[in-house]
Amino acid sequence: MIPIDIRPDKLTQEMMDYTRKLGKGMENLLNADKIDAGVSPKHAVYKEDKLVLYRYDTPEGVTPQPVPLLIVYALVNRPYMTDIQEDRSTIKGLLKTGQDVYLIDWGYPDGADRCLTLDDYLNGYLDRCVDYICEAHGLPAINILGICQGGVFSLMYTSMHQDKVKNLVTMVTPVDFQTPGNLLSNWVQHMDIDLAVDTMGNVPGELLNWTFLSLKPFALAGQKYVNMVDVLEDADKVKNFLRMEKWIFDSPDQAGETFRQFSKDFYQKNGLINGGVVIGEHEINLKNLTCPLLNVYALQDHLVPPAASRPMKDLVGSTDYTENAFPGGHIGIYVSGKAQKEVTPAIGKWLNDRS
Amino acid sequence: MNEDSFFSNDWMETQRKYWDSWIAMNRKAMGQEGGSHTAPWESALDHWWTAISPAAPGASKQFMERMMDQGKAFFKMAETFLPSAGGDTDAWSALSKSLEEMQKGFAGSFGGAGEGQTALHRMLAFWELPYDNWQRMASSMSPVPGDFLRNMPHDGMQEHVDRLLSAPGLGYTREEQGAYQDLMRRNLDYQKALQEYAGFYSKLGVKAVERMRAYMQDLIKSGKTIDSARAIYDDWVNCCEAVYAEEVGTTAYAEIHGKLVNAQMALKQRMAIMVDEQLGGMNMPTRSEIRTLQERVHEGRRENKRLARELKALKAQVEALVSGQPAAPAVGTPRAALIAGPAAAAPKPPAAVKPVSK
Repeated sequence: MIPIDIRPDKLTQEMMDYTRKLGKGMENLLNADKIDAGVSPKHAVYKEDKLVLYRYDTPEGVTPQPVPLLIVYALVNRPYMTDIQEDRSTIKGLLKTGQDVYLIDWGYPDGADRCLTLDDYLNGYLDRCVDYICEAHGLPAINILGICQGGVFSLMYTSMHQDKVKNLVTMVTPVDFQTPGNLLSNWVQHMDIDLAVDTMGNVPGELLNWTFLSLKPFALAGQKYVNMVDVLEDADKVKNFLRMEKWIFDSPDQAGETFRQFSKDFYQKNGLINGGVVIGEHEINLKNLTCPLLNVYALQDHLVPPAASRPMKDLVGSTDYTENAFPGGHIGIYVSGKAQKEVTPAIGKWLNDRS
Repeated sequence: MNEDSFFSNDWMETQRKYWDSWIAMNRKAMGQEGGSHTAPWESALDHWWTAISPAAPGASKQFMERMMDQGKAFFKMAETFLPSAGGDTDAWSALSKSLEEMQKGFAGSFGGAGEGQTALHRMLAFWELPYDNWQRMASSMSPVPGDFLRNMPHDGMQEHVDRLLSAPGLGYTREEQGAYQDLMRRNLDYQKALQEYAGFYSKLGVKAVERMRAYMQDLIKSGKTIDSARAIYDDWVNCCEAVYAEEVGTTAYAEIHGKLVNAQMALKQRMAIMVDEQLGGMNMPTRSEIRTLQERVHEGRRENKRLARELKALKAQVEALVSGQPAAPAVGTPRAALIAGPAAAAPKPPAAVKPVSK
């Protein structure tokens, strides 16, 4: 017996189905409206350079919690991932639990932003956003939710300004950048980061796209499109797919100096584990972080595997430390139906219990 | 658009006959390549796409092309294994032959195999995805379309270029000659790194075929069969991803990857310096000058922001003193500055800016 039994008539039928779906899909693609990003109503409350701080409107019938929540997203990719569509929105879920949600949009850095350092981002932009919210609410401290690289930012920020952070939530946030199987870290080890930044100035989004696609090139640059053919006949699914596709390739350039420090201190030197990270005038010590901390990570995360996030528990000074392991991936934790039911309500409850 | 206008029954009947004859031919001469054949389905698809693509918006067009390319890849994959189908007693031999052909194909598939040279080419092209991604990225960062260095002749040129580069620059244009020699050296380094990168993927492809062979042997043991093009494609992707994940996690790959990126950056850096020299010669602003200005402006703005914050804190202190109320720390005021008073709030000298090296 041989393991392949593909008959010409069956193959022809399979091909017929594939092409029929392609044809129908083309219709849906041609009819697809402009892809919107971010669905929940919000308004800008503070602007500085390319940064915009948004405040989301509280839904009718919901009484907002007294302590607002600031979402700090990564510099790579765009924050509308957290609010990508009506039925898949982390922000919508948080609003429902009564959180008064603010979000930082870092914008798209260009050549004029090349010299921005981590100090500028953390002790400059982020700190001024926190100050703005504290003043607006008459509070000494607020809640922060950091996502991925934004989670690393939030950890460092809190360790430097603990008095301004009441509760901290981190989502898919690495602290150990050199766990076994961390491909990104492996690939960066022999890269001359200084040469790259000195040559390019800002690091192009295309380079980041290439890097992320290279993590699973056959699945992400090939098989995904074959799988997509199966749902091409459904106009809504096509739109959702295109929305996600837009997000994946919507990668802002990275300010050169920030990329330099982040790559060297974290990916090459594993600075949160080994120490030695200096931001402005502060040497980072996560033991200075003493507020309640909820660490949410994804069990099937290929970018930030659980092993990269779990050591947070022993690095911080918090006595109130909680972990939430979500059975999904790096993106699924925001956009999957399961995440809407499990992750967001859990974060809301955890915050409400402590605010 | 209806499906009849896309693929009529005639097309599909032709396609079925094509595969029937493909199988018959391969049974007669097992393993014989059929590279000159073009599947009717593929022709029809291309024909349809040529007619419809001008109307497609940019993003949708790219998206559809990806789906078409992958569709072609997975039907080609099935086609490669068709000779093995049909319960032939020599079926395993035929299957092995197909796998061997794939392995041979990988040995020379990267970095310049001609389009349509073999029936396997499109399927092997699937394995060029990571390599192709690099080409696209390199292209997007290059001042000229495509990764123009990719197809630059290098093997036969190496000796000639080495000799050329070893000749010292002379006379008034000595420095310029040196710059061009350095450019060529860096170009050669990049070519070498790119070849090594491509070579790594060729070896990976061979390993992926080995993995596929082992997978099929496991299927035989378990009594299961693959009965669709889609299933064989998915299995192939799984084998490729598994082998890929193992290999790119190694130190050896990290070195190859690092060399490739570093070599490209070194080349781009030399090109940028030469462009700057040309711009300077025309009295136009150079990138180096602009960067110096960016650094100075940035330091100035940083200082302004720091001063504004400290001024705000001082204002709050003065207002508190005037009103006789105890001064509440203004949000955002550095604690140390408030405790120590205005002297501590004096601006610190700007941090040294890392010079841009060339």
